[in-house]
Amino acid sequence: MTTTVRSRPRFYRDVRILTWAFQLLVFAVVAAVGLWLWGNFRRNTASSGIPTSFDFLSNPTTFSIPGADFSPNEPVRNAYIVGLINTLRVSIVGIVFATIVGVLVGIGRLAQNWVVSRLSTVYVELFRNLPLLVLLTFIFLGVVLQFLPAIADSWTPLGWFVFSNRGIGVPWYDGISGWSLVGLVAVGGLGWWLIARWRRKVHERTGRPSRGVLLGGGFFVLALVLGWVALGGGITLPAVDGRQIAGGIRVDPSFFALLIALSVYTASHIAEIVRGAIQAIPKGQSEAAMALALKGFQRMWYVILPQAMRVAIPPLGNQYLNLIKNSSLGAGFAYFELTNVTQVTVGNGSPAVPAFFLTLLFYVVLSLVTSAIVNIANRRFKVVER
Amino acid sequence: MSADAMRPPSRSGPSEWMRRNLFRTWYDTVLTVVFGALALYVLARAIVFVFVDARWEIIEVNLKLLMVGRWPSEELTTIAVAVAMTGLLIGLVAGLVRGRQVRAGTAVRPSIGSRLADLAGRFSLLIGTALLLLALTDTAGPWTMAIATLVAGVVGRLVGGWLGSRFLPRWVTRLGALLIVAIPFVVFFYLNRAVPLAAWEGFFFNITAAMAGILLCFPLGVLLALARRSRLRLLQSMSIVYIEFVRGAPLFVLLLMANVSLEFFVPAAIAPSKVVRAITVFTLFTAAYLAEIVRGGLQSVPRGQEEAATALGLSPFKSMLLIVLPQALRNVIPAQIGQFISLFKDTTLAGLALGILDMLSAAQVITQQPAFRGQGLIIETLVFVGFLFWVGSFTMSRESQRLERKIGVGER
Amino acid sequence: MKRIKSLTLLAVMALIFAACTEAADTTTTAGEGDGVGTTVAEGGQESGESLLDVVQDRGVLNCGTRDALPGFAVLDENGEHIGFDSDFCRVIAAAVLGDAEAVEHIDLETADRFTALQSGQIDVLVRNTTWTAGRDGEQGATFLTTTFYDGQGMMVNTGDFESVADMDGVVVCVATGTTTEGNAAAEAARLGLDWEVRPFPDTDLLQEAFIAGQCDGWSSDVSQLTGFRSVYPDGPDALTILPEVFSKEPLAPAVLDGDTAWAQAVDWAILATIQAEELGISSENVDEMLESDDVNVRRFLGQDFEDEEGNITTFDPQLGLPIDFNYQVVSQVGNYGEIFEEHLAPLGLERGVNALWTDGGLMYAPPYRP
Repeated sequence: MTTTVRSRPRFYRDVRILTWAFQLLVFAVVAAVGLWLWGNFRRNTASSGIPTSFDFLSNPTTFSIPGADFSPNEPVRNAYIVGLINTLRVSIVGIVFATIVGVLVGIGRLAQNWVVSRLSTVYVELFRNLPLLVLLTFIFLGVVLQFLPAIADSWTPLGWFVFSNRGIGVPWYDGISGWSLVGLVAVGGLGWWLIARWRRKVHERTGRPSRGVLLGGGFFVLALVLGWVALGGGITLPAVDGRQIAGGIRVDPSFFALLIALSVYTASHIAEIVRGAIQAIPKGQSEAAMALALKGFQRMWYVILPQAMRVAIPPLGNQYLNLIKNSSLGAGFAYFELTNVTQVTVGNGSPAVPAFFLTLLFYVVLSLVTSAIVNIANRRFKVVER
Repeated sequence: MSADAMRPPSRSGPSEWMRRNLFRTWYDTVLTVVFGALALYVLARAIVFVFVDARWEIIEVNLKLLMVGRWPSEELTTIAVAVAMTGLLIGLVAGLVRGRQVRAGTAVRPSIGSRLADLAGRFSLLIGTALLLLALTDTAGPWTMAIATLVAGVVGRLVGGWLGSRFLPRWVTRLGALLIVAIPFVVFFYLNRAVPLAAWEGFFFNITAAMAGILLCFPLGVLLALARRSRLRLLQSMSIVYIEFVRGAPLFVLLLMANVSLEFFVPAAIAPSKVVRAITVFTLFTAAYLAEIVRGGLQSVPRGQEEAATALGLSPFKSMLLIVLPQALRNVIPAQIGQFISLFKDTTLAGLALGILDMLSAAQVITQQPAFRGQGLIIETLVFVGFLFWVGSFTMSRESQRLERKIGVGER
Repeated sequence: MKRIKSLTLLAVMALIFAACTEAADTTTTAGEGDGVGTTVAEGGQESGESLLDVVQDRGVLNCGTRDALPGFAVLDENGEHIGFDSDFCRVIAAAVLGDAEAVEHIDLETADRFTALQSGQIDVLVRNTTWTAGRDGEQGATFLTTTFYDGQGMMVNTGDFESVADMDGVVVCVATGTTTEGNAAAEAARLGLDWEVRPFPDTDLLQEAFIAGQCDGWSSDVSQLTGFRSVYPDGPDALTILPEVFSKEPLAPAVLDGDTAWAQAVDWAILATIQAEELGISSENVDEMLESDDVNVRRFLGQDFEDEEGNITTFDPQLGLPIDFNYQVVSQVGNYGEIFEEHLAPLGLERGVNALWTDGGLMYAPPYRP
């Protein structure tokens, strides 16, 4: 009692040691469970002679993938790549569609126009509260299969499109390679950016209207059209040829169903985020914009939306992640994305555990990459605190 | 136009309202006409479909299959009892909460009539749907169940209100709390004894799986949240790895994996049935999301609370358990309801991934019956199934918004 | 004091919680006895115990099958499995357990059927599965006596095509996870035709797509096509199965590799139906046949008979099956011909190559004798 020397506590009362002991204990329990599962796995697969390695990736696939230039003799590895590309394809297009629809509906909910705001509310409440799978089943079985006509009675509006339940034909570029197209877009985009920068400087210096979008966009379109013609490019229009769609590009019906379902569903969530973000902008901003005599569209485009999007980026990123993960439902409707490829290759003899493990890994990496992009965007657009 | 906008609203009636809200500018007029026409067209088509074209007999004939799957008819009373017990539980909890408010003097006390009207208004969709389902049945059982549930709910509410408004010894309240927690488990065992969990199907599966998932994920979810916030590096990193891995994976793929690869990892003797697998995956999956929700809740509790608790001499463990965690959990109730809604909707994935005959699978299966094959009745069945899910989710999200306003989250 | 009380309360609640979750698991495991649980009792391999003993201890056969293939396995309105394959599940149960109804029919998707076998979820796979070398080897399956010799064909809307060779530039729909896809691609290549092969995850979806006109042809085993044609909403005549058959599809039950005792038991259960038809024993006359004077019949039915040395004896081939298993199979389910007539003939399928060898078919049972 009388001692005043502060000695180290005994080891069983030393907080540092105790916390580490506790952590190690938890870790040991988790590791033990993991080892137990792993041991079972090794024993069970060994007893029935099932491979556990990733050698199956080199076996021939034995199934074909519609809409892809893919032969059943190619190794499973290639099927995974096609699946991954298909996942990315539906996700990226879906994200673009969902964002456009979502932002419009989100703004629409706050519109003064009664019809528009009511309809937007109905849209959001309807699709947000439906299970995605119900929506997808409905769109595939109800809309694509029953509402779209058979190929013999397909609709061909303007001769530019072909609508049938065997696919949707859309005009597509022709005569030039995809890389030259990318090059043209790059040149046009670069020109747009330079012009916009120059005009902004002019505007800041002289106060003359910048018209960056008009001039830059004009250059972009002009570059694209001129380059197109110069390189001998053309357009192919889709047409019904016997029992197939020839020309143009054919949108696979399963892809179409999945894309619509994902976009419509995610848009309803995005609309809520956008609405919340707009409402979070102080009213003073809107009033200040009004005081500057900005019109409704200008107010929205130059003042409200840029600020709202900053608030909205993190939750939007979450919705994009959800959309990517939800694209796995395509497996139930004959769309050959990652999950479907895995399921079918497992059904054709690839070992289930490594095959699904690989798929899971793909999704986790895809999610991490997406969140990284969202984080970068978030940092880039974050409000700079004064 | 700004001059118009600044003018106080005149009370000149519908024409003024229309001018302001429908035809304010030329593009407003265009929008109104285009979207109005579209809405009217869709509405007309929907009405014609629901009341004229649709052949609802496929639903009428298969109502039991959709609701409870192949649950044996002679055991249906167990479901009725379970539903009534749930009604009792809800009534009891509502009553207790109310009673406590009355005792604390914070209760607003409107008349019984207006309170009933308020309830009827908030749950009108749910009540309407229940009546619709009852109207589709041709036996007395469901009616009996509905009435028994109503009575049980009212009794529970009265008893709860009476108990809650009184001062009771601590051991009584503790025992009571234990009993209330025990009721769901008792109901579960009661049902499981009649028909084993493995054979739970239809809408009943969707509802029970969602409830089981959200209840069972609590211990793991809270532990993960605490671990992630703790300063114990090893625990923290394990928690982060788990949360990020699970959140990065699609639920559908996890369910597929549970279907085809679980047997390799656990001894055959305990390899669970498909329903248990589904619930396990839902639990493990939701725990990761709940952990993030709870983490947000923990962050929302002001540091002063913890410091005050320390000043009162509470150990860190007790201050977390008794002071911080209750406030954190209370703050995130709306988010938890949101998680529950999304789980409720996601239970449909179990049908596709594991082959459980949930309500959505049943909706597809019944269109293959000889009497209904190839007639395109999938639209009818999907509309019905979608409607039930929609009513459930919509009502819950409304209630969650109400709670959010009441708790005052987001208004600080 | 207070702390102790609250801690005790917490502990009690935790215990209740743990007990409940644990009990939930055990009750479902117990559920398998009522024939509802789909739990697995493999475990046998580890201790060197044959699945035969495991199944006999368990008292229920877990038979991997399906729920929507007309003629082979469909669910009737009471939730019972009816069909050719389902009856072979019953045959195995009758032989192994003496009770044809002691079967848990487990519905599998095409894609997860081998996994279910490998993981021990099912004891035997009777789900019209084609016997191929790769599946015998790589999938860890052992295929047994073929129950149905099939071949892949093509079904089209009546009037669209007369022969497979006419089908150029068409969409051919198949179910995934089957040998069908590879066969279809190979056939198109052989004939130099341009087919877009569209795989569907299940036949229900495929049928919906076919009805809607997404496919020009539906390629599958002829038996399956016949089954779907027989219940086609517009009537069987709306569809035509083209005459060409472009593959060999012997459909056989499969068990997991490495368990000879179980494989032999299942095999002889299947063979019992063929043997019975050869001997002229059916479920109708099996009880009269018990009194037969024919040594072969008496031996087959497990009755006593007079051997070469004149001793009265019975014959037990030591397959681990009850001595009267053939009798149980025939009396409770029937012989091969009866099963075929009951389930497949109504679809319009002929016996063809599935007739007994004595009638020029391929059905041939090895002799049942010492």
